[in-house]
Amino acid sequence: MAEESLVSVPAEYLQKLEKKVERLYTFIEITEIISSTHDLDVLMNLVMERTKKEMEAEACSILFYNKATNKLEFEVALCEDDSTCTLLKKTITLDMGQGIAGWVAEKLEPIIIDDAASDTRFFSGVDQQTGFITKNLIALPLVGRTGLIGVAEIINHNRSSYDLEMLQLLCRQFAVAIENALLYRESIQRERLKQELEIAAVLQKSFLPESPYFSKGQVSLSAVNISAAKVGGDLYDFIEPVGGKVGVLIGDVSGKGVSAALYMAKIVSDFRYAARLQISPSPVLHELNSQLSRSPRGMFLTAVYMIIDTETGHAEASSAGHPPFLWLGGGQVRTVALPSGPPLGIIPSEYPSSSMQLDKGDRILLFTDGLFDAKNSSGSRIGMEDIVRFTENNYHEADLVGRLIDHIQDFATGADKADDVTIVEVKWGGLP
Amino acid sequence: MKIIITSNSGHDVLAISGEVDMDTSPELRTHLLEFIHKRTPLLLIDFREVSYIDSSGIATFVEGLKGMMVYGGKLKFVAIPEKIGEIFSFAKLDRVFEIYGSIEDALHR
Repeated sequence: MAEESLVSVPAEYLQKLEKKVERLYTFIEITEIISSTHDLDVLMNLVMERTKKEMEAEACSILFYNKATNKLEFEVALCEDDSTCTLLKKTITLDMGQGIAGWVAEKLEPIIIDDAASDTRFFSGVDQQTGFITKNLIALPLVGRTGLIGVAEIINHNRSSYDLEMLQLLCRQFAVAIENALLYRESIQRERLKQELEIAAVLQKSFLPESPYFSKGQVSLSAVNISAAKVGGDLYDFIEPVGGKVGVLIGDVSGKGVSAALYMAKIVSDFRYAARLQISPSPVLHELNSQLSRSPRGMFLTAVYMIIDTETGHAEASSAGHPPFLWLGGGQVRTVALPSGPPLGIIPSEYPSSSMQLDKGDRILLFTDGLFDAKNSSGSRIGMEDIVRFTENNYHEADLVGRLIDHIQDFATGADKADDVTIVEVKWGGLP
Repeated sequence: MKIIITSNSGHDVLAISGEVDMDTSPELRTHLLEFIHKRTPLLLIDFREVSYIDSSGIATFVEGLKGMMVYGGKLKFVAIPEKIGEIFSFAKLDRVFEIYGSIEDALHR
């Protein structure tokens, strides 16, 4: 009975089965390698190294498909000779349809070339540039979930037989892993950028006055500064250039982000230095203008600098291309556009000073363009007239600034981007 | 924002339409730097269809102007819409940039 149940298996079949099992092991092994890392460079090198060994090949390369240029670029090349690899990575790109890899990328089908020298599809340009001689070649498309990722090439292999189907299967796995690694790399870069912005935001805040309130004699100052982005372009500063005087600076840097934060840091420190001991704003802006003239990328600053005498209420102000301010006094709201020079940091210029005498209870609202440039969801801007009207209607409000901020935020509800806004309120308590 | 580059009496004209802001000014910058690289002697910017320009847009033109000044090139703005003209004049940018009513004005003055 026992002998009857034995099935005789031909040796050939057994051999085939063994090979299949062997391949399955290789497949599992490579799949493990593929899923072992999120690091793109490590991933590519591991896979290529293993493939090169498995296929007894002289070189392996991966060309990445660059969507923006619609070209293939060498991303990784593993060769016996390092200089060939370096050359490949630096200089060689292929058009779609150009050479073997270009054909594979276009048709999304593998190509096997047994004799490169006699195959017209082979682009010898790469060999000519690198000095590498391609004898045979297997090129496979790397297609992930998002489409073409690139082309993998196995060059000068010494295997008499191999399993193309399995190579294709591995390429599919590999392409998905590359996609994941790219996503991972992007998320790390995003995180890094986010952290840099956070640092820039802290740096920027560190250059604003420690407290948004300041008072000296009969003058009290308060500021509200809201940044739309993490790092905004508005700034303000309160200083005492000499005893009995208070200086208020409000400004708007062109641009936002890390560059604006660094530029602001320079502006505030240059300003504090230039404003020391100066009792007129004109020479301060003049000095700041020349300090900023070598600003990068055309960056500039619009600003108003006002110096108020804490005992007499006499004020002097200069403007550098900054929007007008509002002067609330005697029940009236006046829009004051000072004679002004151009924004700071563009061209050599003078910045004339204007004098004003504040009366008891007068208030001055200095602000940046985010106040009247606020945009609503249908894209129209609030405008200066609206701001003036709102200020007139809320003239007696103690928290006028807070109301103005609420007003523009209500207006901008649902709008996709908001601007930075800064308001500095100067209150003159009156002669003692 | 859209940019169209044309030529008028042999001079390059860069016509912009839409909003020139933080998001769109890098594209404008690329074009301006190309003109600077070629040492374009006169570049006209046609503002007729510009609906808005923010400080990053203006900074991009300041960079362009400074770059052209190095080799003696001229940057001229033409046909600035009223609202943008107001911004330019209150910000005293009319002292920084050369502004003309039309391309013909810019070429003959």
